[in-house]
Amino acid sequence: MKKDLKSWVGSLTDSYIVCGPKPKGNNFAFERIHSPEEIVLDYPTTILPLKKFLVPPSEAILRFEEGSVRHPPKGGASKTLLFGVHPCDASSFAVLDKVFIGEYRDDRYAKRRENIVTVVIACSEPGETCFCSSTGTGPSMEQGYDVLLTDLEDRYLVESGSPEGDKLIRKIPGAAPPKPTDYDRKKRSIEDTLKKFKRKVVTDGLPELFRKNMDNPMWIQIRDIDLACGQCVLVCPTCYCFDIHDTSEVTSANGERVREWDCCVLLEFADVAMGGNFRKDRGARIRQFMGHNLSYCIEQFGRFKCVGCGRCIQACPVQIDITEVASKVRGG
Amino acid sequence: MKDPYLPEKAAIERIRRETVDTKTYTVRLLEERKRGEFSAKPGQFIMVSLFGIGEAPFSLSSSPNSDGSFNATVRAVGNLTSALDRFEEGAIIGVRGPYGHGWPVESARGKDVLVIAGGIGLPPLRPVVTKIAEERRHYGRLEILYGARTPDQMIFPYEYEDWRKIKDTRLELTVDSVPPGTVWQYNVGVVTTLFNEMKTSAENSLVMTCGPEIMMRFVVRGLLAKGFAPDQIYVSLERRMKCGIAQCGHCQIGPKYVCRDGPVFRLSDIQGLPDLAL
Repeated sequence: MKKDLKSWVGSLTDSYIVCGPKPKGNNFAFERIHSPEEIVLDYPTTILPLKKFLVPPSEAILRFEEGSVRHPPKGGASKTLLFGVHPCDASSFAVLDKVFIGEYRDDRYAKRRENIVTVVIACSEPGETCFCSSTGTGPSMEQGYDVLLTDLEDRYLVESGSPEGDKLIRKIPGAAPPKPTDYDRKKRSIEDTLKKFKRKVVTDGLPELFRKNMDNPMWIQIRDIDLACGQCVLVCPTCYCFDIHDTSEVTSANGERVREWDCCVLLEFADVAMGGNFRKDRGARIRQFMGHNLSYCIEQFGRFKCVGCGRCIQACPVQIDITEVASKVRGG
Repeated sequence: MKDPYLPEKAAIERIRRETVDTKTYTVRLLEERKRGEFSAKPGQFIMVSLFGIGEAPFSLSSSPNSDGSFNATVRAVGNLTSALDRFEEGAIIGVRGPYGHGWPVESARGKDVLVIAGGIGLPPLRPVVTKIAEERRHYGRLEILYGARTPDQMIFPYEYEDWRKIKDTRLELTVDSVPPGTVWQYNVGVVTTLFNEMKTSAENSLVMTCGPEIMMRFVVRGLLAKGFAPDQIYVSLERRMKCGIAQCGHCQIGPKYVCRDGPVFRLSDIQGLPDLAL
C-alpha cells in the first residue's frame, strides 16, 4: 500500500544516508532526507543532476607532503540511498561508469559508485523539456536500478534489479506480492506516459547525420546568440570533463592535486601552449557539447551520452535547444 | 589496483640546453624496479608532475636508454614549462605513463620513411630516427625535412652530422628567416619549400609529421598533391591534456581522444573531424 512507503523510508534511514528530492525555492534538489515525511515522488526534474554524488565538483586526488606523494585521507564510505530517482538520472550513471571505471579504474569514483543505491520512480508526468523516451532512458527503465517503483495509482509496483534491491524490498512493511495484472498496468502506464512527451528526437542515424552537419549554418545562428555561460554543461548529468590543478600551501612545500569539474563551452577549456586554442569559436564549443551528447558518444561509449533529461534546454538563458539541433541536422 | 593518477618519482639527471627557450631533460625513475618496467614506443608521451605546480604532457625525445633514463625536450612557454626551466639537475619530478599511440615504426618496416618536422615538433620524431639508425636494414630510405623559425631555433643541431651518416639518409634543413649576422648555408622558407627537391615518392613509403597544426596542414596538402594517400601519412597532434587516460575530456576531437587514440594518428582516420586545422 502507498501509505507503507513512508515507514519503509523510515526504516532505511537507519542503514543508509537517504537522499531524495526536496523542495528548494520553486524547484527540487536531491538532498539528505531525515524524516520519511520529507519524501516526495511526484517532482519535476531537479535543477542539478546527480553526478555530484559520484564526482564531487572539486576533490583532492593527491597530497604532496614533505617530499612524498600520497592519497589524501579518505572519508568514511557510507551507503547512500538515492530515493525517487528519475530513470534519466539513473541512466546517467552508466555513462559515467564507462568513463571512470572503464579502461582505467578511478578508485575514488568506484568506491562511491559501489556505495550508491538507487530507488527509481518511473515517470508518469514528463516535463516540458523532457525527451527521455527518444534516448531510450525513460519514462521507465529495464535495468540500472536497485529498486524500481511504478505508480499504479492505489499502490506501487515494486521491482528489484539487484541483490541490494532484493534486500531493500524485504524491508517493506506489509508488502503484498504483485498481481499478474500489475505488469499489464505498468505497461499501460508507460504507454500513457509516452503519449505525453512534447519533445522528441529521432535518433535513427543521428550520430552520422550530426557529423555530416559540422558546417550547417545553424552553428552560426547558435554562435550568434550563445553566451558560452556553461549552464548546459553544469546541469548535464553525463558531462564529466574535469580540470586538474595543483594547490600549494603558502608556508610549506605541501600541497594538493585537485580535480574539478570543467566545461567544454568555456574558451579556456581547449587552450594549448603559446596562445593556441582549437575551439576559439563559440559555435565550435557548443557543437562540441552537442556532438559529444548526440554523436561522438556512440564511438566512445556505444550509447548516447544524452539521457534526454532536458536540463540543458531549461537552463539555457538564450533558448538553445538540443532537440532542435537534432532536428536541424536532419534538415528539419 | 594502482591509482592511474599517482606519479612515480623521478630525478632530472641531466639538462642540455637546445635553444634559448628549449632544453632536453634526461630523467630516471627513482625506484629501480619501476625503471626496468618502463618501456616506451617512439611517439608516446608522459605526464610530468612538478609537485605543487601541476602536470603536463610531454612527448619523449628518446626511447628509454640502457640505464632506464629517457629524454623529454621541452620549450618553456607556459606556467609549468617555465617552472621546469628553473629546475636544476638532481631535482625531483613526477612521471606517469607512457601513454598513447606512437609512430607506425612497425608497419614502416621495409618502406621508405619521410619525416617532416617543424620547430618543437622534432623531439617526438627523434626516437624514430634513432630506431631506424639502429635497425637500418629493416627500413628503406630515410628522408628528414626539418624547419625552424631561425637557425638558432633548431633543436638537436649537434646530431645532424650523425643523422647524415646513417646509410641512405637525407636530411634537409630550412628556416623561415635568417637574422642579420647569422650564417646559414641551407634553405630559407617554410618546410614545404623543400618538397620540390624531395626524394621520397608515394610508392612504398610512410610519412610521419609533427609541428604546428598549421604547418601540418600545408604539409598534408603538399603531400596529397604529390600523390601520397591519406593512409600513408601520420600526424602527431597537440591538444590540452589533463589526465592522459581518456577521462578528463580536454583532448577530444570529435569521438577521438588525442591521449588515448593518438597523439599519432593516421590522417585517413581523422579526416573530416571538427576543430582540426588539417
